[in-house]
Amino acid sequence: MSALTSLDFWAFVGVIAGIYTIFALGLQVQFGFTGLMNFGHVAFMAISAYTMAILVVKVGLPLGLAALAAVVAGILFGLVVGLPSLRLRADYFAITTIAFAEIVRHVALNWDALTGGSQGTIALAGPLQAASYNTAWVDFQTRVGGWLSPILGEDPNKDLVMLFIVWAAALVLLVLVQYVIKSPWGRVLKAVREDEDAAAALGKNVFSYKLQSLALGAGLGAVAGLFYAFQFSFFSPNDFEPLTTFFAWTIVILGGTARNWAVPVGAVIFGIIFAGTRFFEFAPFTLFDSPERAYLRLVIIGLILIALMAFRPQGLLGKREDLVFE
Amino acid sequence: MKELVQLLANGVVSGSIIALAAVGISLVYGILRIVNFAHGDYLAFGAFAALLVNVTWGGSMVLATVFAVLATAALSIALELVLWRPMRRKGAGVFTLFVTGIGLALVLRHLLFLVATAEQRRYDVDVFQVYDIGGIRLSQSQLIGVGLSLVSLLLIALLLARSSIGKAMRAVSDDVDLAAIAGVNVDRIVLFTWILAGALAGLGGVLAGLLQSAFDPNVGFVLLLPVFAAVVLGGIGSAYGALVGGVGLGIAMELSTWDALAGGLSPVWKPVVAFAVLTAVLLFRPQGLFGRAATL
Amino acid sequence: MSSATALLEVRDVAKRFGGLRAVDGASLDVARGSITALIGPNGAGKTTLFNLVAGHYRPERGTVRFDGRSIGGRPPHAVAGAGLVRTFQHARALTRLTVLENMLLAAPAQPGERFWRLFVTPGAVRRRERTIEARASELLRLVRLEPLAHDYAGSLSGGQRKLLEFARGLMREPEMIMLDEPMAGVNPTLGLELLELMRSLRASRGLTFLMIEHDLEVVMGVSDEVHVMNQGRVIASGPPETIRRDPQVIDAYLGTHGGAPPEPVEGPV
Repeated sequence: MSALTSLDFWAFVGVIAGIYTIFALGLQVQFGFTGLMNFGHVAFMAISAYTMAILVVKVGLPLGLAALAAVVAGILFGLVVGLPSLRLRADYFAITTIAFAEIVRHVALNWDALTGGSQGTIALAGPLQAASYNTAWVDFQTRVGGWLSPILGEDPNKDLVMLFIVWAAALVLLVLVQYVIKSPWGRVLKAVREDEDAAAALGKNVFSYKLQSLALGAGLGAVAGLFYAFQFSFFSPNDFEPLTTFFAWTIVILGGTARNWAVPVGAVIFGIIFAGTRFFEFAPFTLFDSPERAYLRLVIIGLILIALMAFRPQGLLGKREDLVFE
Repeated sequence: MKELVQLLANGVVSGSIIALAAVGISLVYGILRIVNFAHGDYLAFGAFAALLVNVTWGGSMVLATVFAVLATAALSIALELVLWRPMRRKGAGVFTLFVTGIGLALVLRHLLFLVATAEQRRYDVDVFQVYDIGGIRLSQSQLIGVGLSLVSLLLIALLLARSSIGKAMRAVSDDVDLAAIAGVNVDRIVLFTWILAGALAGLGGVLAGLLQSAFDPNVGFVLLLPVFAAVVLGGIGSAYGALVGGVGLGIAMELSTWDALAGGLSPVWKPVVAFAVLTAVLLFRPQGLFGRAATL
Repeated sequence: MSSATALLEVRDVAKRFGGLRAVDGASLDVARGSITALIGPNGAGKTTLFNLVAGHYRPERGTVRFDGRSIGGRPPHAVAGAGLVRTFQHARALTRLTVLENMLLAAPAQPGERFWRLFVTPGAVRRRERTIEARASELLRLVRLEPLAHDYAGSLSGGQRKLLEFARGLMREPEMIMLDEPMAGVNPTLGLELLELMRSLRASRGLTFLMIEHDLEVVMGVSDEVHVMNQGRVIASGPPETIRRDPQVIDAYLGTHGGAPPEPVEGPV
């Protein structure tokens, strides 16, 4: 019970929610605004996280540059996925995106020399060297902590600083996406979602716009991947399974697929369900051991998805009329 | 040369099991135009149903397999009546049904984890019995696997081609409205298709469990993407295509390890081979080998 | 009809669907600045021909030239980009966009449709948006849809959606518009106003119209030239009076109307 009132715990939940907000926002752009069923979104997270880690640890690039390159890599991978597969029917596009994401995960798992293999980034180099991207981040974090000391007091809690940074980024990105969606460019995306043929008849290159939407979403997924890497220090291919993408979908659907601002709400609810139930040390949760609680959580998430599809496809915050799909 | 033939044989064995699942998915897709993302977990259900009979209750593998087939068919019926049909009646479209499949997959798989834990399981069979047929070495499990698969697939092919219910299934698959006008009871055909798909999945799950040295509740999901690759390779909506695609993919995956091909890939890359095939087919021949171009 | 003046030249195009030859060697010209009609019984292949010209389908053979350039087989957005706009038989209003958004979407040369311009030249984007909003309102007023500008297009009736499509097409400032049954579902008074609008646009901007229409009175009254299609081919072309008396045309219609196409309506159209 004490965990529920601990600051560390809620800061952790908050950081997860923030990372997932950015991650799910990418999906929101791709599906909510353009109608693309991308179920391999986690690939962009993985590519970004690994690119950053490899560039810092093996190539010795400074963190800022490596992070930028990582986001670019994510966007480029978006183009790689989109070019061959965007012409497919929705569910076959979905399966192809999953296949691409699994290829990325398998490569990360098996190309030990490049990625550290199944052990993850801890095996990228010798122990001290492997931590270099994390120590660089901690340095940055400490500096930000210094700037925030007027608000948070001297030597603020590391998790609180992280919380601040992630949500500041999330906010900036939410505003950015809002601007872009309300613009003429965003209008074309929505038209593509509504009726591709009508959009094409009005002179819009539908394929190009779908690709752009996929790329923007990929960039957002890549940013989320960076924060994931910084939050968890070391990561491995297991962190980038299809399940992560399904979580993002749950968030997007939960919030209501047509609204940007519902994404953080969905992410927070999801964060609470997910991280929160880990710490519920009271009945009926104590009936289950920890691994079983993990399975139970996933059963519940599966049921939530089915229930949403069956009874409230517009999500908690969406309106029936705004329903983006049938 | 000998190694090549061995690899081909292994490929046919593993491919025939992929084909079982692929045909099931294809039949459902042909009738309902939906991709059931939970199909892999129908397989896992079958594998564990057999485990219950074979290991927990001490029954023979034959009994376990029969039980698994029946149990998975029953699961399939139950889900059609409780979930898929009501969703269709509500007018659920491609996206809604796809996400429903994902939710169902999560539920089924993790219920299995809850009940059976993540412990690696194996059936109570003699794994050391190996047969040498003309220089090719195949274990008892492999022989049973390929034998049962090919017989079942043959029966399904005959059913589709010759029986009246098979004709009805093909009619519904071609044009559901016309079939209904012609007097076909579409709901019954849909249910029958699910029964077939469930039975095939149940059998496929048991065989998959037999062939791997050990398995856990992920056994179906791990196969799912290679199965999709097989469906796409064979041609979406074509059950015969799924058969060919399954065996073909199995062979391709095995051959990728052949050291005559520039040293051959390590077996860990086999799933990547499957995904690469999926991508390549969608790029260059989206209708697959036997599919209808219009469906994409 | 010399090809020197033809804005649209279609020569021997064909398209098959399975065993059905929807268009089987059709040829026609549309003169610049004309109002040309395409008529024919149901199933003659008119909409398929539109789809072939507009790039929705690839012709199996034959050529399509617009303003001297070949557009046969080019994708729809390229055809629209070349100055040829089409409307659909069943109006495709973008339902979850507002009426105004539908219109703004059609405006050509909005730099804000390029992603990078949103950040590099936001001022130009805003200015263009204001210009096109004014133009959109003006066009919406012409088709009596201005009061509904901020409603979702999905809430419009069938006839209203047709009008929206028409206005949206004009918004694109094309050289030529292909209208697929523009009068269907539109009330007669408004229909007459549309025809008047077409005439005045032809006069003031030199806009060219090609329309598929079943209302033969309308067609005969307003068209400069009429092409008649039957069974995938253009069987007759010429001014309305000639077409009316053409025995092949009468034959084609005998199956559906049981008589010659009706007398044209002269009057305040």
